[in-house]
Amino acid sequence: MVRKIYLSLSFLVLFLTTSFALAEEISAKQVVESFQGQLIEVMKAGKELGFQGRYDKLDQAVKNSHDLPKIARIVVGKQWETLTAEQQAKLETVFTQLSVSAYAHNFKDFSGESFTFVSEEETGRGGVVIHTNLNIPGEKAIKFDYMMKKKDDSWQIINIIADGVSDLALKRSDYTSVLNRDGFDALITKINEKIESYAKQ
Amino acid sequence: MNTPRYQGKSQAPYFWVLFFSGTLSVSGCASTETSVVDANASAPVVSPADPYENFNRSMYGFNMGLDKYLLKPVADGYTYITPDVMKTGVTNFFNNLKGINVVLNDLLQGKFGQSASDLGRFTTNTTIGLGGLFDVATPLGMQQNVEDFGQTMAVWGVDQGPYLVLPILGPTTVRDGSGTILDRAANPGTYVMGTGIVEGINERANAESALNFIDEAALDPYVFTRESFLQYRENLVNDGKTDADSFDLDIDEALNEDDEPVSSSAPIATTDPQKKKLENNPADEVSDSADKSLELAADNTTIEAFDNMSKSFDEALIEFEQASEKMDKISKRHHRHKHY
Repeated sequence: MVRKIYLSLSFLVLFLTTSFALAEEISAKQVVESFQGQLIEVMKAGKELGFQGRYDKLDQAVKNSHDLPKIARIVVGKQWETLTAEQQAKLETVFTQLSVSAYAHNFKDFSGESFTFVSEEETGRGGVVIHTNLNIPGEKAIKFDYMMKKKDDSWQIINIIADGVSDLALKRSDYTSVLNRDGFDALITKINEKIESYAKQ
Repeated sequence: MNTPRYQGKSQAPYFWVLFFSGTLSVSGCASTETSVVDANASAPVVSPADPYENFNRSMYGFNMGLDKYLLKPVADGYTYITPDVMKTGVTNFFNNLKGINVVLNDLLQGKFGQSASDLGRFTTNTTIGLGGLFDVATPLGMQQNVEDFGQTMAVWGVDQGPYLVLPILGPTTVRDGSGTILDRAANPGTYVMGTGIVEGINERANAESALNFIDEAALDPYVFTRESFLQYRENLVNDGKTDADSFDLDIDEALNEDDEPVSSSAPIATTDPQKKKLENNPADEVSDSADKSLELAADNTTIEAFDNMSKSFDEALIEFEQASEKMDKISKRHHRHKHY
């Protein structure tokens, strides 16, 4: 009898604390799911919206769910420290623009796609990985794994791994290569060219 | 951040078709890469996986030239005249021929359950699917698996070896390249004359959207192709199982990689065991420092040899362009003659 009371009490305590915590913060999973929901929504209205329409709709969604300043920092690797404050700010701005443009360009129409949540995994250093699938009718599902980190009490996407290919690692190699070969100005020019070409189609 | 490979509508065999097999034509696209020729001039950061970057870059440039002036036009023509149904049939047919190889490599990697499913897939598609023209097995729940000798060797512990871009064949590594030779041997299609060409054209046509994606997304298409190829292969070797902690390391490494700068002078000298094997360095009894310098010398000669080869490929690329210009002129003149 006593044990039963103990048990129910501990359950009650557990319940209270978790619900308390949940009420305060949005979980990593919710961040991902809400972002994916917005993506699908934009895809559905993709044609009517046009590029600029999709861009405007996704702008806040991407900025809210992704830690873009940190990503911009990681993609230039060690070189970040060698940049002036002005250059760092410039890079952050164009990188943000590029990220939103890439989404607006790549998710432009809808043919029955959907995202499903698969599992959630904690990493050793306080991060969380949200495993999801992108289902495309008639094709093999693509695995989308979102690497999440906490920033000021909210979870944000720091990397997306699609079928095992890490976007962050890919970008880091790409950007550092340009930076090392052609320098900072060339990097910014190239990013701007990409933004322009995304907007055209 | 955006998702590599997803193009909205079902431009299906996205990115990866590009890398699916060793026969795959070319890793290039008709982009404007400026730094191909002067790659030798600057000494950029060397990726440990890519010690022959200068050579690979010019080969990549050569392949892109070949693609622009020959393979893309041929593939476009093929796409234009071939109905979609038939194109899918051709793709299915060649995929099915690889089935034997997949089953073989399932077994060699000890994946017995998967081998049974892949064998069922192969027999179903070969019989009911009319010699592989129709993929009836996938709707029946027998998914296509990608297995090859390159992956088997990785499972057996063979090192990846340096990244290489081969003329026409495109990106590979020393391990995957040698695997490809065995893959071809285990593919019945190889023994019929001319099939390689049809397969190559079909694969180039299928890779169109992937190549466009690279063209759109990459700042440095060479590096983008290399990294995605290496990551893709690694993922296949691991059968899609990723370790969450490895992502963590990735980020931390990026944020504070202040120790050991990855400069061009250092990493070439620190040879990995794979390279030692390749060069047969008889330096066992020599002292440590002599050992190092020997390796360095051996490396330098290999790299020089590769550089020399790359120069001739650069020249070939320039000749391509000149030839195409001439062709343009001739055809213009021809037109004018017609008019008068």
